[in-house]
Amino acid sequence: MKYVDEFRDPLAARALLREIAGATARLGATPDKPLQIMEVCGGHTHSIFRYALKDLIPPALEFVHGPGCPVCVLPMGRVDDCIAIARQPGVVFTTFGDAMRVPGSKGSLLQARADGADVRMVYSPLDALEIAAANPQREVVFFALGFETTMPSTAMTVLEAERRGIANFSLFCNHITIVPTIKAILDSPGMTIDGFLGPGHVAMVSGTAPFEFIAAEYGRPLVISGFEPTDILQSLLMVLRQLESGHAAVENQYARLVDPGGNAAALDAITRVFELREFFEWRGLGSIDHSGVRVRETYATFDAERRFAVPGARIADPKSCQCGEVLKGAIKPPQCKVFGTACTPQTPLGALMVSSEGACAAYYQFARREPVIPIVEAA
Amino acid sequence: MTEVNDDKATAAKTAHAALGGLYPHLAARSAPGDDAREALRLEAALRDAMVAKWRDSVAVKSRFFESRGGDVLRAAHLLADSFRAGGRLYTMGNGGSSCDAAHVAVEFQHPVTAGRPALPAHNLAQDMAMLTAVGNDVGFAEVFARQMPGLLRPGDVALGVSTSGNAANVLRGLEAAHELGARTLALVGGDGGATARSPCVELCLRVDSDSIHRIQETHVAIYHVLWDLVHSLLADDRPARAAAPKRRSK
Repeated sequence: MKYVDEFRDPLAARALLREIAGATARLGATPDKPLQIMEVCGGHTHSIFRYALKDLIPPALEFVHGPGCPVCVLPMGRVDDCIAIARQPGVVFTTFGDAMRVPGSKGSLLQARADGADVRMVYSPLDALEIAAANPQREVVFFALGFETTMPSTAMTVLEAERRGIANFSLFCNHITIVPTIKAILDSPGMTIDGFLGPGHVAMVSGTAPFEFIAAEYGRPLVISGFEPTDILQSLLMVLRQLESGHAAVENQYARLVDPGGNAAALDAITRVFELREFFEWRGLGSIDHSGVRVRETYATFDAERRFAVPGARIADPKSCQCGEVLKGAIKPPQCKVFGTACTPQTPLGALMVSSEGACAAYYQFARREPVIPIVEAA
Repeated sequence: MTEVNDDKATAAKTAHAALGGLYPHLAARSAPGDDAREALRLEAALRDAMVAKWRDSVAVKSRFFESRGGDVLRAAHLLADSFRAGGRLYTMGNGGSSCDAAHVAVEFQHPVTAGRPALPAHNLAQDMAMLTAVGNDVGFAEVFARQMPGLLRPGDVALGVSTSGNAANVLRGLEAAHELGARTLALVGGDGGATARSPCVELCLRVDSDSIHRIQETHVAIYHVLWDLVHSLLADDRPARAAAPKRRSK
């Protein structure tokens, strides 16, 4: 397939892997003390497992899976809030498909639908707006979820709802920004990450400027990366080359899509509709300052948190679930007590097993098979 | 061509302004060499953050006292009744909440208002030998509970402070106190956690906030008010208290 096959070319991958192996060896990393590169985005995590990249890189190099899966970092209490809204009379609750199975403390949205709540899957917030337009007697709520990547479409839907005067539409805002969370990881005691693969889709909206502090203030390389296997391998090599040179910078491997200045129209829509929350809670990581947005007062009528009574309770994760430890990189998914037994994609206990971008789901789907035999040796 | 350049410049300006709104660490920066403007922007950002925090702090306290003021009054009666009968207050918490537990105990033992009597209160985290002994030999969850049998008498009050309500050692302390016939109070936050659900906790004062800082700020306000109310309740029976039998010694 044009524009896809080129980025999955085995020959190109082999050449990159050879260079990666050489750079890793020159940097003196060993399997006991590997270089740790965090892929921030859940899309990268998915690709790393789907294409077995973790088995192809040298054992002295390790991918650490970052918190960039918005479904995975959603605290249980917010899912409970969704269900509380969905159960209110006259409400049609709309959501992206992967959020339907995220467990709250009293079940998931899927279970709420089975119990009689009107929960519908949509592919876009505009679909939710059309449902609102077609059902003026119902209150249609959209479960707004995701990073900077999905914020513009939600914001533009609110602007469209205002333009069309659709008053029975609102959103339950759970949009978050990834940048403060990377800073929180960098500030964590015992932080061992040597470099970052930056989130390509977020950077399409934000540009590269928000990430510059990572190199400037923390001295860690960050390469904005695409999502195909050779994108990830090339980005990894760029990080290693920075480590070899001793000079940290923000580089853009995904230049075919990411404008360093970001997307002005998308950013404008975001800031017209949303403002920063003082803090937002992340599953497994706790409250992080300025890491979430809420609907501005100007658009309060479209804010489900203002229109509906939501419990807003904080719910602890099940004790057996170790999503928090996996998110912080303290353990790998198979080391979790319930991985693959009590917790599977069919019956997830933790959110990391729900989304295909979650580290546990990716491990479950792609990494339980026999390891791939490395195709290159260190130069 | 000029129009295209103008459009690009406008878009870049829009993006720059938007990025500052979304990422405060960028808003605090300005063009190189413009230190004075940068300092002013930083000051403005700090001032905005400060105003947002104190407004939130005030709002959380207001919400608590408007919705749960009755519980504070009940707690004051409970404490006053205990002190009146020769009871003691025992307090416990971890970290910042341990500081609050110490603070509330010292408020009662060392009243800052002239003419108010000292009331017997004891912070259970102050005995380091006991804490380390139990922590080492039995486990940290038992550090308060193991002190209860030697100290508590029926009718005393145990007060546990925990922002999440899930501190295992505080909950165990409250359970042990309840089993010994003491009255039990808790200051918690969030959804109140296991403490709010425990049948061993007689009165749970829960601050409805997710922020540990806002919860602790409200806890301080609660126990300052509580201290004042208890003294008001006891003010009328000072002569009776003076004549009341002293607490039995161990």
